[in-house]
Amino acid sequence: MQVSKNPFLKLAFRNVGVIAGLSIFFILLAASIFGPHLLPHDPYKMNIMNRLKPPVFMSGGTWEHPLGTDALGRDLLARVLSGLRVSLIIGFSTVLLIFLFGSALGMTSGYYGGLFDTIQMRITDAQLSLPMIVLAIAILGVTRPNIYSIILVLAISSWPIYARVTRGIVLGEREKEYVRAAKIIGASGPRIIARYIAPGILPSVALVAILDIARMIIFEAILGFLGLSIQPPQPSFGNIIADGRKYLVNAWWIATMPGVVLSLLLISINMVGSGVEKVRKTIIET
Amino acid sequence: MGYVIYFLARRSAQGLIIVFFAVFFIFMVMRIVPGDPVRLMVGGAAPDQVLQKVAKELGLKDPLLVQFGRYLKGIVQGDFGNSFIRPKSGGSVGGEAWDDKRAHARAEVFDLIVERIPLTLLLAGMAMGWAILLGIPLGIMAALRQGGWVDKFANAFVSVSISVPNFWLGIILMLIVSIRLKILPSVGYKGLSYVILPSFAVSLELAPILLRTIRSSMIDVLQMNFVKVAKARGLSSWSIIMKHCFRNSLIPLLNVLGVQIGILLGGVIVVEFVFNYPGLGLLTIYAVLQRDFPLIQGIVILFAGVFVFINIIVDLLCSYVDRRLTF
Repeated sequence: MQVSKNPFLKLAFRNVGVIAGLSIFFILLAASIFGPHLLPHDPYKMNIMNRLKPPVFMSGGTWEHPLGTDALGRDLLARVLSGLRVSLIIGFSTVLLIFLFGSALGMTSGYYGGLFDTIQMRITDAQLSLPMIVLAIAILGVTRPNIYSIILVLAISSWPIYARVTRGIVLGEREKEYVRAAKIIGASGPRIIARYIAPGILPSVALVAILDIARMIIFEAILGFLGLSIQPPQPSFGNIIADGRKYLVNAWWIATMPGVVLSLLLISINMVGSGVEKVRKTIIET
Repeated sequence: MGYVIYFLARRSAQGLIIVFFAVFFIFMVMRIVPGDPVRLMVGGAAPDQVLQKVAKELGLKDPLLVQFGRYLKGIVQGDFGNSFIRPKSGGSVGGEAWDDKRAHARAEVFDLIVERIPLTLLLAGMAMGWAILLGIPLGIMAALRQGGWVDKFANAFVSVSISVPNFWLGIILMLIVSIRLKILPSVGYKGLSYVILPSFAVSLELAPILLRTIRSSMIDVLQMNFVKVAKARGLSSWSIIMKHCFRNSLIPLLNVLGVQIGILLGGVIVVEFVFNYPGLGLLTIYAVLQRDFPLIQGIVILFAGVFVFINIIVDLLCSYVDRRLTF
């Protein structure tokens, strides 16, 4: 089957990990997009008569609520899918943001060097030395977090890695012939960065960024668990799990089920990420 | 020896700059972001004049740079300031009535932090122990038989454990081990057995990183000529692997450990919250939520300092393991 003429994509689509990861990922994506419209239950609708119903595979569970219900009788599956949607939006937009912003800054400081470079490197050093979570809870702890502020905070606390990685690569690229040649024909700095350097180095950085989507989703879940992400009643993985922690003894499924879906999502993203990385390595070697 | 001293001096100077920037950064962020610590301190019912008076006493009305200068001056003299909220008597929540006189003896940040350090060190150390125990033997065995069943198992272990969020894993461990099986306690700290579950939850974030690094560096080392020579000399494969290969594959591992210390700290913070383990992580989360500026600044200095220190140690160890590396 001829999938693509691009050798990279061709190899990638033959990698078992990439295919398996993508399949799981697209199933989850479809579930998060279409699920809420197809399910008979609304994630916010309470039904006290139906509270703490176990999932379908336990005695007493029904297909009415495949993952059971929570303490207010809300359908857990509907809530998990709604949380999945939030996680996906936050994960992808944050990584896009830090990838663009971080690598733009990194390329500029790597190319020009000088004072700008020094200051920026010290800032990234300082920021890498404090756990991101301290910074994030410092900012989110006082505001009423919404989806935009969460994306922004996650981005603020993770852009330095991108700046640093691209800077490192550009330092090497800067001395290469094609950059010198571009300088000689009179190309300006921004033009060299955007037209000649960026297309060469950004794809490999973007591949590593796939793994960061998973990292950001975990990070959002942690914040949600601490009560600093999307606020209830809107469900997110973190706040459903935090809520379920109170019912561990008599209704263990509330805390565990969202985690299973979350782990599946993360596993699928990581499988794609590491598969793609392997393919990139084999292409470089040959 | 001269080299070492020069290296230490240079790196310590750089480290000081990093710590300085980190504190400056968090100092400014905490004050720019809305959220009034004075309101939390005096309680909701206090009249506005009291609010103004307390803010003035704490110096919160001065320009930010003046406040920062005063803070730095204190630190140079060994004074990390007093917590805004925590009383000396050891209680943990502020917000007493504004006219309650007891609230005035506030705990020193230095003491608050120091008394929590041993518990967190215990947790982090045990987590590191679990991670080494799990990751390194599995990584070496996976490297020896690439594509064999150990390798496949290790691969599966890495992709699952790297994907499972540790706070959820902590809850699962709590559910299975302490609620269902009732083997280990899980909430709070009353003895060594309370550390086992949280440290295991932290280690499962660290173990896959160790495993992956040691596997790939072992594979690189195994292909080198000296391994073939050692085989030709008739050395036993155990001594080749342990004495020659393992030692040489330590360098990337040490470097990774230096970088991952931030992840270890982040994991410890969250897991301490899950298990209500009274270490630095729990202190940090409450300090941030309560806007306890001096306490947060103190913790940040400690975290940044630890990060810098460990990275210096890692570089020293690397040059000890591989004498070709210069400082």
